[in-house]
Amino acid sequence: MDRRKIDVVVSTFLIIVSVIILTNDNLVEGGAESDLGIMFLPRVVAGLMLIFAATIAIQSFSKLSKGAELEGPELIVTDGFRGIFIYIGIFIAYWLAVPHLGFMVTTPFVMLAVAVLLGGRSWIPIITMSVITPVLIYYGSREFLRVYLPTWTL
Amino acid sequence: MFDNILSGFSSILAIGPILGIIAGVFIGITFGAIPGISCIMAIAIMLPMTFYVDPIIGITMLLAVYKAGIYGGSISAILINTPGAAASFLTAQDGHALTKSGKAGKALDMSLFASVSGEMIATLVLILVAAPISAISLQAGPIEKVFLLLFAFTVIGSMAGESIPRGLLSCCLGMLFAMVGMDSITGTSRFTFGVDELIGGFTFTPMLIGILVMPEVINVIRRRKVPHHELAITHSPNPADNRISFKEFRGVFRTILKSSGIGTFIGALPGLGSSTAAFIAYGEAKRTSKKPNEYGKGSTEGIAAAESANNAVCGSSMIPMLTLSIPGDDVAALLMGAFLIHGLTPGPMIFFEHTETIYAIFAGFLITDLFLLVIARSGFKFFVNMASLKRYFIFPCVTVFAFTGAFTAGQNMNDILVLIAFTVLGYGMRMVGLNPAVFIIGFILTPFLEQNLDQAFAIVGDDYYQFFASPFSWVFIALSAFFVFSSMRSKRKASKIPAPVKEKTA
Repeated sequence: MDRRKIDVVVSTFLIIVSVIILTNDNLVEGGAESDLGIMFLPRVVAGLMLIFAATIAIQSFSKLSKGAELEGPELIVTDGFRGIFIYIGIFIAYWLAVPHLGFMVTTPFVMLAVAVLLGGRSWIPIITMSVITPVLIYYGSREFLRVYLPTWTL
Repeated sequence: MFDNILSGFSSILAIGPILGIIAGVFIGITFGAIPGISCIMAIAIMLPMTFYVDPIIGITMLLAVYKAGIYGGSISAILINTPGAAASFLTAQDGHALTKSGKAGKALDMSLFASVSGEMIATLVLILVAAPISAISLQAGPIEKVFLLLFAFTVIGSMAGESIPRGLLSCCLGMLFAMVGMDSITGTSRFTFGVDELIGGFTFTPMLIGILVMPEVINVIRRRKVPHHELAITHSPNPADNRISFKEFRGVFRTILKSSGIGTFIGALPGLGSSTAAFIAYGEAKRTSKKPNEYGKGSTEGIAAAESANNAVCGSSMIPMLTLSIPGDDVAALLMGAFLIHGLTPGPMIFFEHTETIYAIFAGFLITDLFLLVIARSGFKFFVNMASLKRYFIFPCVTVFAFTGAFTAGQNMNDILVLIAFTVLGYGMRMVGLNPAVFIIGFILTPFLEQNLDQAFAIVGDDYYQFFASPFSWVFIALSAFFVFSSMRSKRKASKIPAPVKEKTA
């Protein structure tokens, strides 16, 4: 994947965000007045972001328009990206399931899924690890840290 | 100061802190030795577990993880030529050459002794220098602090990024995210868009784990089809090849001293980090060596130079953080977060408000070196076995620890959403060449900047020229310009040199 194209898109997005911060007065609610002004620093930062994003966009756009060859980090290798999407999917499912099914029930399945995603096929040690680790973490958090991880609520 | 140091030792020599240090050393070496994992992951995962213990135990444990993790990186570098961090790249060159010739024990020993020596020297400098610098920096008022912070942003942004605009943009993004939520001075909600959950701003721990740790996990997931390398120590039939003799250590001691000095100096400057220290010290040692031809082909002196310099950075990177509230690199930023969570605000006042705690932490820093020496020396085989564990045993556990760590911060499921969002953002930032560590530094320092800026405006009123009335202002402006200029020059030079051999990661 050509990073220069991503640079142009991301920079354009950041420039739009910066312009909104610089021009919109409805980004703050309530509070008292101060000498500095609540939007002073955000606007300074937005102004700087605009400059840096524009610099990156111009550099990348000029290379793209000249058809210059990709150099080192400009080439994004996309091999294995499917795994990333699956992993993020597992994590989102974990986040959605834990409040209902609880930490102890959900975690073994998540650990098993991540292990399988990483190519693990040694079932007995993986299943043992997936069961023992959540139990240790759950009771360790409760007894030593006084952190109560979510439990079954269905 | 001597009394404070003695009182620090009396506080640290108790069961809790010592157990914390031992646990930290074990975890640090193990994580550091696993190829593809940096010690930052270990620190970020351990951080939530320290919330509920005394700061002396919690902080010394995290510092032990840091020191041991930096050393642990050299184990995989030496045994399988896979540096855990860029700083171990040179160690890998000489260390792996020795491993191939059956002298892994010698390389591991040299790396350990050099690491511990470098760390001890830097820690001593930290103890001796930090308090006097903090006494000077106490003289600085809000105006000077504003310029100091602007200097820090400029230096870190320009030195640490892939290019200057990308580094500074990373810093600006971190600053922008820090402004979300209710302003502590005026009570105004900023960028919350009516979402009540955003009034408190982004929770630090899940954001930190998401930005710095999870992208490393994602990287491993992406490269899951790359074959797994098992670490193994090669043994020579000649016992002298499996260890370092006192004579050999004495022979490189001068190099260790010089490299530690270089590492300490570089570490104290924000934004440069351990890789720069290792490369400069290695180059200097090679230049002055009697056997420069051996460098890169199995030179114990080369290992000593690189390791003592990159480990010296551990101690000295604390100097700007503790005296000026400026974290010099990503690990220092993480540790600064840990200090803040434990109620210790890094900066000159820490030496007066928390004297006992800070000197106990210093004492813990020194004692960690001794434990690192003993534990690593006696457990090479154990750590090698631990680091050889298959990825599918390690990363499911890391995932669950990251989840638990994020939840522990506020016992709130919304923090998991923050973790996921920042994981995606952190990985995306790496893809487009933005620097997540600079982002974190921008995030941490912005509240200090805004507070000091507000006070400075209150002081100067309409007489804006007063901002430039102090010589400190001009000094920091000049220093910022100098760093940006020198960074531009060095980046232009680097772009003309052919790209170095790509770092291997499993």
